Amino acid sequence: MTKRSPTTRPRRALRAAAAALGGGALLLATACGGGGGDGEVTLTIDTFGVMGYEALIERFEEEHGIQVEERNITDVADYTPQLQQNIASGSGAGDVVAIEEANIAQFMLQQDAFVDLAEHGAADLEGDFLDWKWDQGVAPDGRIVGLGTDIGGLGMCYDTELFGEAGLPTDREEVGELWPTWDDYAATGEEFTEADTGAAFMSTVQPLFRVVTAQAGGEPFQNTEGELVIEDTPTTREAYDTVTSMTGLSAALPIWSDEWNAAIQDNAFATMPCPAWMLGHIENTAGEAGEGRWDVAAVPGGGGNWGGSFLAVPTQSEHPEEAAELAKFLTSPEGQLGAWEEANTLPSSPEALESPEVTEFTRPYFNDAPVGAIFGATAMELEPVYYGPDTQAVDDAFRAGLESVEQGQATADEAWETAVAESERAAG
Amino acid sequence: MTAPTRAPRDARRGAGHGTGRGPDRAARLRATLDTKAAPYAFITPFFLLFGVFGLFPLLYTVWVSLHDWSLIGGNEGFVGLDNYAVLLGDAKFWNALLNTLGIFAIAVVPQLLAALLLADALNRIVRGRGLLQITLIIPYVTSIAAMAIVFSTLFGTEYGMINQVLGLFGIDPVNWRGGRLSSWTAIAVMVDWRWTGYNTLIYLAAMQAVPKDLYEAAALDGASALRRFWQITIPMMRPTILFTVIISTIGQMQLFTEPAVFDTGGAMAGGNQGQFQTVMMLVFQEAFRYGNYGYGAAVSWVLFLVIVVLGLINVLLTGRIKGAT
Amino acid sequence: MTITADRPAEAPARRRPRPVRRGARLRERAPLTYAALLLTAVLSIFPLWWMLVIATRTTDAVARFPPALLPGGEFGANTERLFGNASAHFTLGLWNSFVASATVAASVVLFCSLAGFALAKLKFPGRNGFTVAVVVTMAVPVQVGIIPLLVLMQWLGWRGELQAVIVPFLVSGFGVFMMRQYAAQGVPDELLEAARIDGCSTLRTFWSVVLPVLRPAMVVLGLLTFMQTWNEFIWAIAVLTPDNPTVQFSINQLNESAYARDFSLMFTGAAYATLPLLILFAIFGRRLVGRIMEGAVKA
Repeated sequence: MTKRSPTTRPRRALRAAAAALGGGALLLATACGGGGGDGEVTLTIDTFGVMGYEALIERFEEEHGIQVEERNITDVADYTPQLQQNIASGSGAGDVVAIEEANIAQFMLQQDAFVDLAEHGAADLEGDFLDWKWDQGVAPDGRIVGLGTDIGGLGMCYDTELFGEAGLPTDREEVGELWPTWDDYAATGEEFTEADTGAAFMSTVQPLFRVVTAQAGGEPFQNTEGELVIEDTPTTREAYDTVTSMTGLSAALPIWSDEWNAAIQDNAFATMPCPAWMLGHIENTAGEAGEGRWDVAAVPGGGGNWGGSFLAVPTQSEHPEEAAELAKFLTSPEGQLGAWEEANTLPSSPEALESPEVTEFTRPYFNDAPVGAIFGATAMELEPVYYGPDTQAVDDAFRAGLESVEQGQATADEAWETAVAESERAAG
Repeated sequence: MTAPTRAPRDARRGAGHGTGRGPDRAARLRATLDTKAAPYAFITPFFLLFGVFGLFPLLYTVWVSLHDWSLIGGNEGFVGLDNYAVLLGDAKFWNALLNTLGIFAIAVVPQLLAALLLADALNRIVRGRGLLQITLIIPYVTSIAAMAIVFSTLFGTEYGMINQVLGLFGIDPVNWRGGRLSSWTAIAVMVDWRWTGYNTLIYLAAMQAVPKDLYEAAALDGASALRRFWQITIPMMRPTILFTVIISTIGQMQLFTEPAVFDTGGAMAGGNQGQFQTVMMLVFQEAFRYGNYGYGAAVSWVLFLVIVVLGLINVLLTGRIKGAT
Repeated sequence: MTITADRPAEAPARRRPRPVRRGARLRERAPLTYAALLLTAVLSIFPLWWMLVIATRTTDAVARFPPALLPGGEFGANTERLFGNASAHFTLGLWNSFVASATVAASVVLFCSLAGFALAKLKFPGRNGFTVAVVVTMAVPVQVGIIPLLVLMQWLGWRGELQAVIVPFLVSGFGVFMMRQYAAQGVPDELLEAARIDGCSTLRTFWSVVLPVLRPAMVVLGLLTFMQTWNEFIWAIAVLTPDNPTVQFSINQLNESAYARDFSLMFTGAAYATLPLLILFAIFGRRLVGRIMEGAVKA
């Protein structure tokens, strides 16, 4: 899509307004001015966050002679509503769009909104993706809607200095052995708190709920028919109880809040569940002062995944064929490796995960931790989880509920009731 | 009041502009047409544009509110007044309404009073008035989003500057977002910071339109400054005061940006227990995050009605201020 | 509701020297007054000042205690990052905001003056009803109709185009209401009668007689509208796309990481976004003050 040049003079706008009022019903929508006139195709790809596609896009442009423009909205919380509107209204979306793990089921609900990539040869690519990741991208009726890009995996980041001060081991192997289960993790937390380093053991219990339910697998919030099963799935309540029992160890800083980020800089807490994409965030936030302080150990409770994205092609695209090519390219094993190199996003392709670029990769900031190997391992052996269409809303509801518990504004039971009620509202 | 139409015609005839009937009748016609049609022509652009971009969306919202309408799935069936029935029994709606009204009370009343006093103070001084006026309008000039972020940071529980300053006085850090009253206060501070100066300047302009001889006469009669303020200034300013009250009411009831930015997590929840979720935030949450557009539309329509009622109440109350004769 | 203030018939203003001596009798220069005003001034400026301080530093300065109160040296570096930020299109954002704000301000001033004058001073059937209708239109929250408006924009093909943030705001109930109040207060009926006797059409009367009287209010309305349009955030985010933003949308894009707000960058952007408004106010604000003073003097 070509950029509009900034020469919309006031008079033209006024004339347009007059025309709109006068002509009203006769004014047809101007097509998004694609440069298709001379047979040259331009694709738009909508992304959020940092996906690491710059170099890859250049390669694609060279190899295919197609112009690709990346439109990026940094914050996924801003990106998703825009995408929703674009999809719902039938225009404005890119030819390829990124969709986050928590939202893909919701987008899949719209039967005709996305191209079935099987029509463009995607069915053969199943082997290029981890099983559970592939399944997440396939709609209940079998259409291949999304091709997996990155995954989160799961690790437990910890502050080596604070651990040292508290008399705990600092080597990541040893730390991993401290907590095979979440109860062990809580016990370690007690030990840490008693050592009185002035910092809290964790910043907030909020993300733990997502992590523990993910590890349990199955259908924590909704089943494949879209019904809420929060109260029916026993592991969900168990996860909630486990998590709320740890509120005493937390600094009660809501995740993603500015204060939470400031706390990272302030070294105000010692541990944090981290998927691969969280590493970049820690590095950016803690900056130079934090280099070498943070390390990554195995997460309690075994393998799991938190987050990740997909690429899909909306049916409103005027170049579905080329768009599918782009999507397939970016999500291919070599595409994922390219993204890994550029942005350290963890591939969802087994081939890429097992390649030396990933397994032998060490991240200097984190004490040269072999993050590729650590996260890769957790991604390979985990319980598949189904996230229904209203996952985002349920996530929000429980985040709020857990916040009210750790800040002392509600009891765990009260917060559970509220969160379930809110989830029911959202599921409509 | 427009002068009767006879005068111009007579005047023109008297001025000797054409003696025949033709030109006269044409002139007469034009004049009549002008007087009758001009007012409507003048107000047409406003109502026309409003019709398309204001009324139509409003009516469409009403239409949507009568359906079970999902943002993604679209129209899922006519449900009549169901959404409204649910709304009346919805604890979250009443909570949001309470929050909105509470923030309104805490923010607007002190703000307008302060603006009056500040305007009076400005009216009395001579030196430095220009500079002070500029400092007062600066908050209004700043970007709402950016300043909301600034204040959110200042009101942080652990690291916010306000708590740190309070700490200097031995006061425990306040969890601003955690409590109802505390969150309302923080938001009221944000709103007042932005709008007090604006209202002050409006009041100042009105005060300066009050004829000085009224004050002189009262001063000669021995009236104190306070009496002059209440007996002369306020009554003469009544239209302006009414204006600001109405604008503030309408604006405050739609409060959205400041509390939305103040919230952590961007979920439009207004705090972990909805302590400061305003009605507009609820609309956003329902329509955009939960996709319940039909219900969101119903809530926004009810908000509109509440604003109208509240506005009327305000007009009545302000009308109680003794007006100028 | 009209105030029977005496106003001389000559509409164009004559400049008179400020009557300092005459005023001194009535005006009390209590130090308390100055103290209160000064305190207000400081409170008004401080948050903006702090924002600028952070804009000249790095983001971690936000949480520091004792707080950073003096500017640092990072403004140049932050400016570079700001204008170089690929996803923000900041320069385009500035330009778009300027075009949109100027257009809307001009249109609002024109159409609202016309309507306000008509409602205040022209007698015609339904006048009261229309006045009430205007007030009611102000009660319509913008966000109420945001989705239908989006649908409308879609249909017109204006999503992502600048018209979308201009056309829906070409008039405002607030503007009509304000001009109506001002016209009611400030336009003398004798003036209108005189014009009519002279044979002026209503439009002619409006242009030559009423506009000059309304000018101070028009300046204020224009200024306020410009600022309001410039600061419009929610609608811009909803209807525009990142590659064709207004300045507030740009600022929102200014984060290098997806999950943390880069305050120093955002505040640098906000500083540049606020600058045009301050300049505007510096230019027109003076004239504004001047007009207000004249109004006081004439009486």
